[in-house]
Amino acid sequence: MPDAVLSNQGTNKPIPLTNKPFSPEDETALREALKRCSPSAFESAVQFRKTGNAEHVPAVVIGIIERFVEPDLRIKLKDADDDLRLIEDLGIDSLTMMEIVILVEDVLQMTINNDELRNLRTVGDVKTFIDCKIRGLALPKPTKFIPIEHIGAVMPVQPPFLFLNEASVSSTAANGKYRITGQEFFLQGHFKDNPVMPASIMLEALGQLAVLYLLEGAPTEAGKVVSPQSIFFTGCEGVRAHRICKPGDILSLSIKPKRMKMPLATFEGAIRVGQEKAVIAEEITLTFLMVDAANAPVSINGAFEHAGNLSGSAAAPATGVPPLRVAMNATG
Amino acid sequence: MPRVFITGLGLVTSIGNDAATVTRSLRELRHGFEVFPPFQKPEIPVKVIGTIKDFATNSPDPEDWAFPAGYTIKRELLRTMAPNGLFAQCAMLQAVADAKLTEPDISNRHTGLYAASAGSPYLLHHHNDRLNKVGVMRCSPLGIVASIAGTLNFNLIAAFKIQGSSCGFSSACASSAHALGFALDDLKLGRQKRMFVVGAEDGNLDAILPFAGMRTLSLQTDPNLASRPFDAARDGFVGTGGGVALVLETEEEVVRRGVTPYAEVLGWGQASDGWNVAISHPEGSGSAAAMTLALRASGVAPEQVDYVNAHATSTLIGDISEARALRSVFQDAALRPAVSSTKALTGHGLSLAGVMESAFCALAIREGFIPGNAHLTKLDPECAGINILRTTENTPPKIVIKNSSGFGGANVALVFKRVA
Repeated sequence: MPDAVLSNQGTNKPIPLTNKPFSPEDETALREALKRCSPSAFESAVQFRKTGNAEHVPAVVIGIIERFVEPDLRIKLKDADDDLRLIEDLGIDSLTMMEIVILVEDVLQMTINNDELRNLRTVGDVKTFIDCKIRGLALPKPTKFIPIEHIGAVMPVQPPFLFLNEASVSSTAANGKYRITGQEFFLQGHFKDNPVMPASIMLEALGQLAVLYLLEGAPTEAGKVVSPQSIFFTGCEGVRAHRICKPGDILSLSIKPKRMKMPLATFEGAIRVGQEKAVIAEEITLTFLMVDAANAPVSINGAFEHAGNLSGSAAAPATGVPPLRVAMNATG
Repeated sequence: MPRVFITGLGLVTSIGNDAATVTRSLRELRHGFEVFPPFQKPEIPVKVIGTIKDFATNSPDPEDWAFPAGYTIKRELLRTMAPNGLFAQCAMLQAVADAKLTEPDISNRHTGLYAASAGSPYLLHHHNDRLNKVGVMRCSPLGIVASIAGTLNFNLIAAFKIQGSSCGFSSACASSAHALGFALDDLKLGRQKRMFVVGAEDGNLDAILPFAGMRTLSLQTDPNLASRPFDAARDGFVGTGGGVALVLETEEEVVRRGVTPYAEVLGWGQASDGWNVAISHPEGSGSAAAMTLALRASGVAPEQVDYVNAHATSTLIGDISEARALRSVFQDAALRPAVSSTKALTGHGLSLAGVMESAFCALAIREGFIPGNAHLTKLDPECAGINILRTTENTPPKIVIKNSSGFGGANVALVFKRVA
């Protein structure tokens, strides 16, 4: 995008805090700009403008979002869960989002580009985004929807041992779905005349979602990527099954990274069926390695090592099938 | 072709913010003029406007505005409104209640909305100013829809979830009369079953003062003398704003819903002067033609007309043109209808005028009176030969004409009939 380069769009330089000190006039303007926000949002904005300390930013951003949310929905922001969705939960449309952005830009003295906005779907997205902007960190990857074709192409694990039909991945979480068809080979024996999804397989499915997160969502150092062949299961804690899951059930899987420091990444995970809790895993830990992007294999050579594969079953032979073909096969 | 009736109305005007107050003002000839604070500067020779009471819209930020407690308007709606949008929203809420319309009655493919306002010069000015001051990308994302011509229809269509025909009309002071005429056509042609017709204007400094440059505004400082249509001492019009909404429905809908209409809308006509961009034709040729066409479309003879609510704005040239037009249409002196301009009470509502005064006609027809032409002390001899009512008459008019004229010499006449 030559235009972007010329206009300096898309770059993410730290906000050059102006050299001149925060003046009483600035404070008056700030008070006027935030007159419909909570006093704490104003105070935090003053602190940020005086010190440049990014710790104050979330309070400002939440205060500004709150101001634009209809009063009867504001209660949702009180225990601001980062998963709170701007459109679905808070009724914020794209025009309101623009209003929020303009006020944030004005108050925090920053510039936000249109294309950066599209990916902000949750309160957490907004907080992370602004925080990265302020600190001059790489912008988080947006939540992206990953269809089955793409899952098949990037994952080291393959059918019939792939338990994700679709997934969405952001820098802070991954969500996926798997429908138990009843055709899974292991259901023939688990159990006799009574097909029940094994809890170990459900944990496997969460592990696979975590693998997908490492490959598609995890923040990496510049020029580095997570090597698909390097990811393996190491352990889990606090795993409980709450519900028997049978053919026809749609498993809604979600994982969130808790800690990530090469070579270990720890996640919390949960599976629901509708509104019912099915499986909780307090911790699932995987190992992984980062490699130079240039040296990363262009394609995944088949399902050699089943990363995240709890069964530890013998590796299938490498097939050398190009990923697209794998993906197509995966969808049948 | 189906018959069409007025089944509901809502009013936010300088002479009252509900039908009862407006009716009393019309009957008792109480005007709505006040000395307007923003005009009280030595460099502004105009001093008086028709003020909208109980509303405060003198901030570019709608969240600063005040309006009567009975109205609930969410920020989501308010944020894209100009002052005229707020007035119209309140008028629409009144009209919906008055016509006893339910949500399914309003939001369907057979119910449309035509609107007229000049946009909001006030907010346009504000947003363009901000654009220059803080830069293009820090401008309000809603500035456009709140301020350009069309803001009224954009907002009302969204607020009331209108799914039928919708359009904005822009023929200056004939705009909302055009809107009413075309709404009538849509109903007569079977395109729609119900139409809202809405007019509104900000009525603030930015909307009114530019007319001073044309020397069309009254410079009177006394609110009691400022608007004097047909009077020899008139010196220009007095500006006003507000919002008015009418509900028009086909006979089938009136029967189905079992409501009592105010009046029947018989027909309309329009004709243009082909003369001057801003000055009305000296003989009122376009206005006369519009009236004649309207009567023909309505199947009404001139002598059947009981009352004409004149366009007469209290300008020197305009009032004479209309008087001449009236003389040419109603030639038999003995059978001439009563004529009055209610702008003597309200001031000139610009785009709003046509529908506002049509609502006045509807009230007069239903309540059984003909409002007098207030503030007429000495008739301009040029305006002689028409039957100008000086005081309110308590006779129910059966057939009423409403005249409207706008810049470019656009003229509209609408014909209303009492429901037997």
